[in-house]
Amino acid sequence: MTAKIVVRDLTKTFQTRKATVTHALAGVSLEVDDGEFLCIVGPSGCGKTTLLRIMANLESPSSGAVNVRRSGAGDRPLHAMVFQEHSLFPWLTVLDNVAFGLEMRGMPRAERTERATSFIRMVGLENFRGHYPHQLSGGMKQRASLARAFVTDPEVLLMDEPFAALDAQNKVLLQEELLKIWEQNRKTVVYITHAIDEALLLGDRVAIMTGVPGRIKEVLDVTFARPRDVVETRTLPRFTELSVHIWRVLESEVRRARQA
Amino acid sequence: MSEPGHRRGLSVETKERLIAIGSPVALLVVWQVMSWLRLLDARFIPSPLTIFEGAVVLIRSGELWTHLSVSLLRLAGGFVLGSIPGIAIGLLMGLSRYVRAALDPLVAATYPVPKIAVLPLIMLYFGLGEASKIVIIAIAVVYLVIINTMVGVLTIDPIYFDVAKSYNAPWGKLFTRVIIPGALPLIFAGLRLSLGVSLIVIVSAEFVAAKAGIGYLIWSSWETLVIENMFVGIIVITVLGVVTTFLLKELERVLIPWRRERA
Repeated sequence: MTAKIVVRDLTKTFQTRKATVTHALAGVSLEVDDGEFLCIVGPSGCGKTTLLRIMANLESPSSGAVNVRRSGAGDRPLHAMVFQEHSLFPWLTVLDNVAFGLEMRGMPRAERTERATSFIRMVGLENFRGHYPHQLSGGMKQRASLARAFVTDPEVLLMDEPFAALDAQNKVLLQEELLKIWEQNRKTVVYITHAIDEALLLGDRVAIMTGVPGRIKEVLDVTFARPRDVVETRTLPRFTELSVHIWRVLESEVRRARQA
Repeated sequence: MSEPGHRRGLSVETKERLIAIGSPVALLVVWQVMSWLRLLDARFIPSPLTIFEGAVVLIRSGELWTHLSVSLLRLAGGFVLGSIPGIAIGLLMGLSRYVRAALDPLVAATYPVPKIAVLPLIMLYFGLGEASKIVIIAIAVVYLVIINTMVGVLTIDPIYFDVAKSYNAPWGKLFTRVIIPGALPLIFAGLRLSLGVSLIVIVSAEFVAAKAGIGYLIWSSWETLVIENMFVGIIVITVLGVVTTFLLKELERVLIPWRRERA
């Protein structure tokens, strides 16, 4: 496998008000293979979102670099990001939200409507094309967010706890749908989550991240068969073993954070 | 038919509506009866019918329309002259911290000045004609629109800028697809507030410095003690406020469809 994303010695420091410096990331290095689904799991405040935002070019690192290797022609966007809840534009319909990335790339209206519509159908929102986000449930909003990212056909998909705000049942449905869509095109995915089970259910590998400062403590291979059944995978003994292992790594970290 | 679980008869909503219409009508009836019984001094408080007759006379002679159209033109002119630069300046202040740093103290320092207090100065600069009335309304409008537009831009959730940036939105698209719609609800709030203030300002300006307009009608009726015409003027300016507010709300519904169902 060739590396699709290479993260090299990434550091990020924030200057806070009283001249104290917060080290959000301290020398993070990471390689993500082409077509791999990598999950990064860690407690709140460990710097995982900062890491993803740097990968997405929304923030610049204090030192180090992120390189994404393009495959083929250069007209595809390098990355698309699926954000946490409430990232759909309230003033745009589902169709215009999903087509947003295409519109920004200057695609003519007829063409982007057609493309967006097929992805809206893929996430099961064909009857809600003309609806505004406030008319949708939380699960439907995140379906639309998935469609908005997938429709631009990016080299890399970056996801920042996209299902964290959903109730347990909707979360399972969305995880299943995400895997179903992903199986169809096997994009390179970096998926941030604080939920250990979610990381194991979705990922080919799980990177365990701890803070502060944020660093990758360990990377685990997750070898459950694909296509993966979100519900059945939970019942495998290996799943339990891995969850306990990850929890042991994170536990001391979480306890320490509580003291601070 | 009444819904199951409800008592027979009118629904609560219908009752509410009937009461809402009934109470002002009842007040008018009581007022009229008290006038007939001479419990109210007709020299100070004319009866509703007298006011109505006064209005008919003013309408027949065309006098009311003359005053109304003059006030309307001043309001419209001042509103346009104040709101367009107000939106532009508000957007600039919302988007650039340097523009904000430069203008915020000026706006904050001059905003509390009662607008009518500068009317003499405005008349000195713009003459006794229409220009000075339009300018004084524009001054009243511009502040509220600037402040609301600026806050509208500043309170756009940062995540929308992140989304736009992650899809490499060019500046023009960022402006038309994120900034303008994001700030629009508060821009409209500013316009609605301005409307109320402009009505106050136009009436006061016409009290002292006009030869026509609804404010002038009220003031000249006071000077000649034609009390019913004062009431007509007050009613007309009130109706004007209600109608313009309604029109602005309708415009808002068309321009901000994503808020339609919250009301």
